[in-house]
Amino acid sequence: MTQMVQIFLLGMSLGGVYALMAAGLTIVFGVMRIVNIAHAAFMFIAAYITYFLFQSFGVDPILSILVTMPVMYLLGVVVYRLVFARIADSSRFAELTVLLTFSLALVIEGLLGAMFTNIYRSTNPRYATDAILFGNFYLPEGQFYATLISLALLGGLWLFLRTTRTGYAIRAAMQNRTAAQVVGVDVSRISTIAFGLGMAMAGASGSLSSFLFTFFPGKHWEWVAILLSLIVLGGMGSLLGSLVGAFALAVSAAYVSYFYGPTWSPITFFLALFLILMFRPRGLFGKPMEA
Amino acid sequence: MSAAANAKTELQSPGLPGSASKPARKWFLAALLIALLLFPLTNLVSGSMNYVLFMMLYIFMYIAMASSWNIIGGYTGYTSLGHNVFFAIGAYFSGVMLVYFKISPYLTAPLAGLLAMGVGLLVGVISLRTRGPAFIISTVAMILLVKITFDNWDYIGGSNGLSLPIPDLDVTISKFPPYYAMLLLAVGAVYLSYRIRHSKFGLGLRAISQDETKAEVAGINTNYYKILAFAISALFVGMAGSIWGYYLTYLRPNIFLTVLMAAQLVLMTLLGGKGTVAGPVVGAVVFILANEFFVSQLGFTELNIVATGVLMIVVLLFFPEGIVGTLKERGKLPQFLDWE
Repeated sequence: MTQMVQIFLLGMSLGGVYALMAAGLTIVFGVMRIVNIAHAAFMFIAAYITYFLFQSFGVDPILSILVTMPVMYLLGVVVYRLVFARIADSSRFAELTVLLTFSLALVIEGLLGAMFTNIYRSTNPRYATDAILFGNFYLPEGQFYATLISLALLGGLWLFLRTTRTGYAIRAAMQNRTAAQVVGVDVSRISTIAFGLGMAMAGASGSLSSFLFTFFPGKHWEWVAILLSLIVLGGMGSLLGSLVGAFALAVSAAYVSYFYGPTWSPITFFLALFLILMFRPRGLFGKPMEA
Repeated sequence: MSAAANAKTELQSPGLPGSASKPARKWFLAALLIALLLFPLTNLVSGSMNYVLFMMLYIFMYIAMASSWNIIGGYTGYTSLGHNVFFAIGAYFSGVMLVYFKISPYLTAPLAGLLAMGVGLLVGVISLRTRGPAFIISTVAMILLVKITFDNWDYIGGSNGLSLPIPDLDVTISKFPPYYAMLLLAVGAVYLSYRIRHSKFGLGLRAISQDETKAEVAGINTNYYKILAFAISALFVGMAGSIWGYYLTYLRPNIFLTVLMAAQLVLMTLLGGKGTVAGPVVGAVVFILANEFFVSQLGFTELNIVATGVLMIVVLLFFPEGIVGTLKERGKLPQFLDWE
């Protein structure tokens, strides 16, 4: 029994980071209907920036969020303007976004590979290997901090969406893009901001994952499938859904890893993704996904 | 009826194969085929053509696969990013038959194709319930699911892979069997694609790609059409996998189940012009030659991946109709390339 609770806790302590990753992805889908296959690749850019800062200047990976978030925000704005603004009126928009972000992911993967080679990397601050004890249970210190920071950032995002005019506009566009436009929301500007915001979330989660997981440029494919499974379970475009999906699947994967071995644990996400798409494409809280 | 009718008006231009209206095309294709059949013999004279033969059989393989992909991705409009699953299934089936039962892949290739088709049918029944982005994502999930299964399946070598015995042939003729096999597959796949394009079945597929709901209203059994198209598109991909696996003599999930490979298949079809018969062929030739040029000029494979991605973005943003489609739109498509 203790063991089962311990596994539950370990799963939950990863869920926060997963939720942060998924939130960025789901905002981008919710506002712009962009299925961002490159989300994990963008995350990896931040992870490599963090790695570079850590190796060269000894900057703490958690502190480097202060660098990666604004950098990724700007990169997001530029990419949105250069690529997605052009196809906003296309009749096959959703499908085009999949292919375009797919190509972007290839470009990023190649550039990262050329700059940092294809060796497994990770940052190793002191807390990456330590554990915190809570009575009979333990939590890896890095996971604990990462989850706290993720939840803080998600709280900040929630406040931003609830209290600012821009936040209202973003939520309006997520609910109904056309209607938002009718009542006077500058959807093009909001889209740019939302894409930047999603990328900033990718930036923060990239920095955090730099000490939680090992990474190499080609690994983002595995991550993006995991992230898609989280938001597809929660319902694409639903922030609450991405949160629930992240925690639910993180815990399930922890149990699968315990019972069937760690090599099988990723299959939790892929199988969930496949099955949900087949039998309930709208997920738990989402709107139906149109073509 | 309107969707089907739309597709029909668009279909008026093409003539029948070998019809008197397109003599240039007929002679061009016949001469090309004879040249390709005789070409390997040059290796008996000079002995230094192995590299060229390799490039050609590699191109044939991708022509076969891109033309097959075009049936579901081009005609029907369902973008599959998971077609190398069928490639891997074909390769592993023939590999296992060779290692455990000593049967040559050249004999088991058709079976491998049929197996891939059967799997395609099953997967199609499930995954074609979705449309648009959901379908594309589900095909990516399919690659990862199969990869993790193969990685953990000890009978077929797990993540370490399966080594096949090396064919015992003199070096001057060692490329002949895979060359002719791939040539056969390429010709077969293009012919199949052509026949489908000019059949009632193909008309139905193109109606689906234009407007699925209207197609259904017009009386097309869209579900049956889509699933059949998906299964057929797996056939030649599976056979190509079986020949290629034997050529490499080494099967590994890491090589056969990469997302990059699936992407290349999509890219060459888009580059050439999806939904046309000649498009995947032109796309495969241009793409592989460009790729080979990048690799030899840029050296590293990472920059090659960058080039692939940039090329794909440029094509998607500025030439969504591809080479053949764009030329045709402007009325500049040379007659020998007009295979419609």
